[in-house]
Amino acid sequence: MSKLNDYIQTDWFGPAVISLVAMLGIGLTNPSFLSPLNLNVLMLAIAISGMVAMSQMVIIAIGQMNLSVGAIGGFAAISFAGLMELHQMPAGMAVVIAMLIGCAAGFFNGWLIATTGISAFVITLASLSIFKGLNLGITEAQAYYGIPEGVKAIGNETLFGVIPVLAIPTALVVVLLWFVLARLPLGRNILAVGANSNAASLSGISVKWTVISAHVISGLLAATAGIMAVAHLQIGQPTIGDDWLLLSFAAPVVGGAVLNGGHVSVSATILGVAIVAIFNQALVLFRVDPYLVQVVLGGLILWAVGVNRWRETRAIKHTSKVA
Amino acid sequence: MVKNIEFEVRGVSKFFPGVKALKNVSLVMEEGSIHALLGENGAGKSTMIKIITGALQPNGGDILRSGKSVQFIDPRDAIQAGVGVVHQERNLIPRFSIAENIALERSSQNLLRPIDFNQLVTEAKHWLSLLGMDVDPRMPVSRLSVAKMQMVEIAKALALRSRVLLLDEPTASLTPHESEALFLVLRKLRNEGVSMLFVSHKLEEVQQICDRVTVLRDGQNACNGLPMAGMDRQDLVRLMIGRNEQIPNLSVVKHDHAEPVIELDKVSTALGHRNVSLSVRRGEIVGLYGLVGAGRTELAKCIIGRFPVTKGTIKVNGSAVKIRSVSEAIHTHRIGYVSEDRKHEGLVLMHSILENIGIPLWRKIAGKTGLVTNSAVRTLTEPFIRKLEVRTPSLNQLVGNLSGGNQQKISVAKWLAAGVQLLIIDEPSVGIDIKTKAYLHELIRNLANEGAAILLITSDMPEMITLADRIVVMANYTVQGELVNSRSYDQVSEGIMNLIHLQEANSQKVTA
Repeated sequence: MSKLNDYIQTDWFGPAVISLVAMLGIGLTNPSFLSPLNLNVLMLAIAISGMVAMSQMVIIAIGQMNLSVGAIGGFAAISFAGLMELHQMPAGMAVVIAMLIGCAAGFFNGWLIATTGISAFVITLASLSIFKGLNLGITEAQAYYGIPEGVKAIGNETLFGVIPVLAIPTALVVVLLWFVLARLPLGRNILAVGANSNAASLSGISVKWTVISAHVISGLLAATAGIMAVAHLQIGQPTIGDDWLLLSFAAPVVGGAVLNGGHVSVSATILGVAIVAIFNQALVLFRVDPYLVQVVLGGLILWAVGVNRWRETRAIKHTSKVA
Repeated sequence: MVKNIEFEVRGVSKFFPGVKALKNVSLVMEEGSIHALLGENGAGKSTMIKIITGALQPNGGDILRSGKSVQFIDPRDAIQAGVGVVHQERNLIPRFSIAENIALERSSQNLLRPIDFNQLVTEAKHWLSLLGMDVDPRMPVSRLSVAKMQMVEIAKALALRSRVLLLDEPTASLTPHESEALFLVLRKLRNEGVSMLFVSHKLEEVQQICDRVTVLRDGQNACNGLPMAGMDRQDLVRLMIGRNEQIPNLSVVKHDHAEPVIELDKVSTALGHRNVSLSVRRGEIVGLYGLVGAGRTELAKCIIGRFPVTKGTIKVNGSAVKIRSVSEAIHTHRIGYVSEDRKHEGLVLMHSILENIGIPLWRKIAGKTGLVTNSAVRTLTEPFIRKLEVRTPSLNQLVGNLSGGNQQKISVAKWLAAGVQLLIIDEPSVGIDIKTKAYLHELIRNLANEGAAILLITSDMPEMITLADRIVVMANYTVQGELVNSRSYDQVSEGIMNLIHLQEANSQKVTA
């Protein structure tokens, strides 16, 4: 009984139950939902969106927000595609450069926030516009079509006919990011700064460099998501990243992240992504008007925030009894 | 016996633009001693603390650690020199474990080396057992009581091998019982040779635990390391304020014939109060005493309609009422509440004095014209500001820039301007120095004499005995009993303690 209670207390328990129940429920009403093809599409969506969500989650962990995740991802995506089409650069090298661009963009955000003390909201709102503008200036809103066959193949390849190859980088990042946040001082410092930056600084943690490193990680993950999107779409679309913002917040929040910082869960965030993906898929399957998908996503966020709030007040009541 | 000098501040000065905060101040801390640092608000205490911890750099003078001159450019330097600090604000990461919090200074430095949590737990156990604390170091700090968090902060400072420990108002949020436990630990550390600087407003505690005392007044030494033995409260006060403390000789007034402004009859609330009955008459100050967690602030919040009353009746001016919201309490029943938490509940620090005082008035003023003008608010509030002698260059000054005492005056003035008939005042002198406190007491008494009914919540026994006419004792969300304040400290405090312990005896019976 207390074991079950311990599970209920974790961030991943609720989202895990919901994903499983939703998959089973939808699968029973419409067996084609559980077909290998459909599962493949589902996992592909989770792979890319998961990367986007983790990019935002790192910033939520320090108690800030990054409105420019989509713009950084889009900029990295067209850089990746453009370098290959216009400069015939080998794909591997283009990937590295696109990732470096993501890191640089994150550094730009983080450095401005840490040194000026201006809120992340304002800084990343401005940089969103800058990165998107650079994107449109370079591409003139035209897509790059010259994506090498190898890259296209990776975007389509599956393992055992079900698991998309693009799920591999996401899985790696999940494990790595979990390790960083749970075990490495780098990640612990990010969470400490998010929880109470004053206390962190009095304990000798450099708040400035912690903020900057969180933004660099965020930029890197956003760029990776952009590169994956190019491989998946098979073209370098300038619009990549335009619709990431809502989801990037929805998934960590569904996963129990505290928007004031100091607490995030990698596994629950990925499950949050999964829930959103399952809902999207189901709505398509049941031929619901695609515009309604937005309504459902918004409702999901409200519901998740409500649940978090409820858990919080319950926790407070619980501790006051202990004390 | 000559003791080693662990830490010394010699002739330090600090200027801020336009202000000389510290002038040639010295402080000598011996090994194995507890040294009190006293001073009124604005005497330079906080500047001194910031210099010792490396948060500020002095403009002149020396800091010596074991006789060697040192310079603290930032807090890390002080930490490295073995100067540990327990700050007034809680500085723990709530979701991190006790062990990780204790080790944070060291574990956070090597960014890419994985943390060995088992090792942190082993280390934490050592420090916790030194402090006589029996808790699992893996437990998140957020599950601890305030007193235990305080202990964890001390463990954190000790874990840096601090031989010099600065404690800034360590008992501010502790109950008397918890303070005693803390003092036991401090005495133990003293016997082990740790040199401590104890900063507090509570003179009783300072007298009880400190060996020597340094007092600051107007940025200068009023005394430097005098032995505490042989000093009494009056000596300390004279050093701090430069004259004797004036204990206001407030007359005992009988209010038996005045009509009650508010009466609670067997009230139970959603927050867990049961069968609470009390009344406050016009012109009377009724004290509400109890230990932390007795439910006094919570009762106040139920009276003003913040939380629902579930059973019983509340009568205002003799007629039974239902107070459904704070707005109703203020505007219909003219009840005001001065919160103990000025910064979060009492005032809008980022707004001006005028805007703060105006809040409960806006509706009244707007009722006539539909608009609120500054001049209308000014006309209504200025007499009260003048009456309370708020020291400020103008009414447009931001409240956040005022001293604690002046902020408290603003919180009171706000309700006076709103014309309340019942004022609930919660811990009025938290963070306020002796001079202002005495003044505030006089003010509260005068308010009552002018006909207001006052319900005073305080954990400060001398304050209670100075001010209250009757004292209602609460414990565990119920009223334990009531006594008339005879103004004799020993008699009243004994009476109060008896009432509190009555409850303990009862609850033991229940559990047995």
